[in-house]
Amino acid sequence: MPHSPPSRRDFLKAAAAGSLGAAFSLTDAQAATKSLTLMHENSFIKTYDEYMNKTLIPAYEKETGVKVKYDLVSVGGLQTRVTTAAETRSGPDMTGMAFNWPFLYDEKLIDVTDIADEAGKANGGWHVGGTEAVIVNGKFKGVPFGNIGQLMNWRTDWFGEVGFKTFPDTWDGLLEAGTKLKKAGHPFGFELGHGFGDNHGWLYPLLWSYGAREVESDGKTIVIDSNETAAAVDFCRKFFQDTMLEDVLGWTDPNNNKAWLGQQISCTNNAQSILWLAKREFPDIGKVTDHALNPMGPTGKRYHILNPWSHGIFTHTSDPDAARAFLRWLMQPKQVGAWYASADMYYAPFLKGFDDSPAWNVEPRYLPFRDSMTTSHLPGWPAPLSRAQSESVAKYVVVDMFAKACAGASTKDVISAANAQLKQIYQQA
Amino acid sequence: MSASTLPVPPRTASGNRTLGRSRFREWTEKEAVFSWLMIGPPILFLCAMVGYPFLYGCYLSLMHRPVATTGEFIGLGNYIANWNDPVFWRVARNTIVYTLVTTFLKAVGGLGLALVMNQSFPMKNFVRAALLLPFIVPTVLSTIAWMWILDPTFSVLNWLLIAAGVPAPGPSWLGNPVLAMCSLIVINTWRGLPFYAITLLAGLQTISPELHEAATTDGATTWHRFRYITLPLLQPVLFIVTMFSIIFTFSDFQLVYVLTHGGPANATHLFATYAFDIAMSAGQFGLGASVALSMLPPLALIIVALAIYMRKR
Repeated sequence: MPHSPPSRRDFLKAAAAGSLGAAFSLTDAQAATKSLTLMHENSFIKTYDEYMNKTLIPAYEKETGVKVKYDLVSVGGLQTRVTTAAETRSGPDMTGMAFNWPFLYDEKLIDVTDIADEAGKANGGWHVGGTEAVIVNGKFKGVPFGNIGQLMNWRTDWFGEVGFKTFPDTWDGLLEAGTKLKKAGHPFGFELGHGFGDNHGWLYPLLWSYGAREVESDGKTIVIDSNETAAAVDFCRKFFQDTMLEDVLGWTDPNNNKAWLGQQISCTNNAQSILWLAKREFPDIGKVTDHALNPMGPTGKRYHILNPWSHGIFTHTSDPDAARAFLRWLMQPKQVGAWYASADMYYAPFLKGFDDSPAWNVEPRYLPFRDSMTTSHLPGWPAPLSRAQSESVAKYVVVDMFAKACAGASTKDVISAANAQLKQIYQQA
Repeated sequence: MSASTLPVPPRTASGNRTLGRSRFREWTEKEAVFSWLMIGPPILFLCAMVGYPFLYGCYLSLMHRPVATTGEFIGLGNYIANWNDPVFWRVARNTIVYTLVTTFLKAVGGLGLALVMNQSFPMKNFVRAALLLPFIVPTVLSTIAWMWILDPTFSVLNWLLIAAGVPAPGPSWLGNPVLAMCSLIVINTWRGLPFYAITLLAGLQTISPELHEAATTDGATTWHRFRYITLPLLQPVLFIVTMFSIIFTFSDFQLVYVLTHGGPANATHLFATYAFDIAMSAGQFGLGASVALSMLPPLALIIVALAIYMRKR
C-alpha cells in the first residue's frame, strides 16, 4: 500500500490532538494533587506558626495527599487581605478571622455549622464566647478556635515593694498601688492611643465594670451618656494622671511591650505574649511577670475584651469539599489539642474539653486567660453583632472619649462627643 | 508604443507586502495619526489605572456599601454624614495644617539647600547624592527609625535633653497632641526636603551665569541678584515642585499610619488614614470613599489658586 507523506494539515491535526491530550492529562494530574491555601496573621507566638508549617500541614499531606499552603500576613494587615479576597473573590481558600469578621464577611463565607457541631461534640462543647462572634443568622460562618485574652500584666517584685503581694481586686485598689508605684519610679503603661488591641483591651472592660454601655442590647438605643460613664471617665483621668506617663496617649500596640521589656512600667494590659517572650529572651523579667484578671468596678463585676479567633472558608474556593475536610481534620481532638499546645494556650481554647488540659499546667501563670473567658465580650456588647460595632471601634469612639479626658477635656464634653458619634454611627447602620 | 503595451512588473506576494508596508508607514507618519499613536498608550494606562479607580470611587461614595455586600444607592448620604461628623472636620483641619506647614518648610529649606549645593565645594557630587538619602529610603523603614527616636523610653533626643537638664522622662513627642503633630511635620519635612532641593538645584543650573555677572557689574548685591534674577527664573520649577509636594503631602498615609495611627485622640488623623480606617477596619466602603474624595475640592482649589497666581506673574 503506497504511503503518502503527511500533509501540513495532517501535521496540524496531530499537533492539536497531542496538545489536547497533554492538557487533559495535566488536569488529571492537578486533580490528583489538590492544594489549598490557609491565610493567617503572623502569630506573636512563633512556635504556633512553626507547628502549622512543619507538623500539621505535612501530616495532612501524608494522610490525604492534599497540599496546604500557610500564607502568613503581617500583624495588623490581615483584615485588608481578607477584604481584598472577599471583594475580588480570589485568593486563599480559607482564612483566620478575628473579632466580628464572620459577621462582616458573612456573604462571602460558606456555612460550616456541621464542622463546628462535630468539633463541639467531640471536644466537650463550645464556650459561649466562641460562638458569640461566628454565628450569623443561625449559621456558623467560622469554626471557633481560641481567644487571645487581654489581661493585667504586673511586676510582682515592684508591687511587693509597695506592699501589694497579690494583684488588687478593684480599680480603686489598682489606682492606690499605681500611685505608690509611680512615686517609686515604676509607673503604669496602659495604651490610650490608636492601636488595634491593647487600648480596647482595658477601656471597654473599665466602662462595663462601672455599669456603663455604648448601646442597649436592642442594638439601637445609645446609652453612653450616663452617670456610670461619667464615673468611669473621671476614674480613668485620675488613673492616668496618678499612675502613668503622658506618652501612653500616643501609644500603639508595640509600645507597652517595649516599655515592659525595657523595665519602664510596672503594670499594663496585654495578651500573654509579653511573658512568652520575656521567658525566652529576658528570663530575669520573665520571673517577675505575672497575670491577673481585670479589676472589678463599683458594680462588683469584672469584664474582659473578647478577641476570638476562628477559621472560615471563602465561597470562592474552587474546592469547598477539600477545604471543609481540612478544617474538619484540624478540629479533631488529636490535632486541635496539639495545635493549642504549640502556642502555650495563647489562643485560649473555646472548646470546653480543653479547660483542664495538661497544656495549661506548662505555665500556670497563663491560667487567668482561661478563667477570663466567661466574662469576655466583644466591643459594643451587649448589642448583637453589627457593622456599627465595627465602625465605632474603627473610629476609636470609646478609646478617644477616655483619651481626651485624660488629656484635659471635661467629662461632659467627651461624653457628649462620643454620644453624638455613636448616634450617627448606629443610625446609619 | 502606447502606454497600454508597457511591460507591467509582475505582482509578487513580496512586492505586495512591501507596498503595504510603505503605505502603512506613510499612514503612521501622518501627524494626526502619529500623535495619537504616541499619546494613546498613556491615555489608556491613565484611564485604567487612574480614571477607572477615580470614577469607581465616586460611584462608591454615593452608595451605602458595606464590605462584601452589593450595597444600595444613597445619593449624598455619606457626604451629609461627614458634614455632621466632628472627627471629619478635625481630620480636615489636621490635613490642611500638616500640608501647608510642611510645604512651606520644605520650600524654604529646599531652596536654601539648593542654593548651597549650587556652589562649588569639595566632594560636591557625593554630598548632592547623599542629600537624596531620606527620599530614597523606604518611608516605612525610616519611619520605624523615627519611632525609636521619638520613643521616650529609648529616645536619643530625650537622652540628650535629660543630660542637658530637662526633667526626666523628657517631652512626650507622640503622646502630646501638639507635639505629635509637630513631630510628624518635622519628619515629613525631613523626608521631602531632598525632593525640593534636587529639583530646585536642577532649576538653578539652567540660569545662565552671565545674568549674574552682568548684574554684579551693574552693582547688584547678592540679595538683589537672588530677588530679581534667581527667584523669577526659578518660579516655574518652584510652582511644579510645590504642586507635587502639596498633592503628596495632602494624601500622606504611611508616616501617620506607622507612627501614631491618627492618635492621640485624632490629633494627627489625616484624610487618607481616616478614610482607610473607615473603609478597611469598619468595612464601610461608601463612607470611606466619600472621606477620601473630600480631599479633591481643597486640593483642586489650592492648585487652581497657585496656577492663577503663576499666570498673573
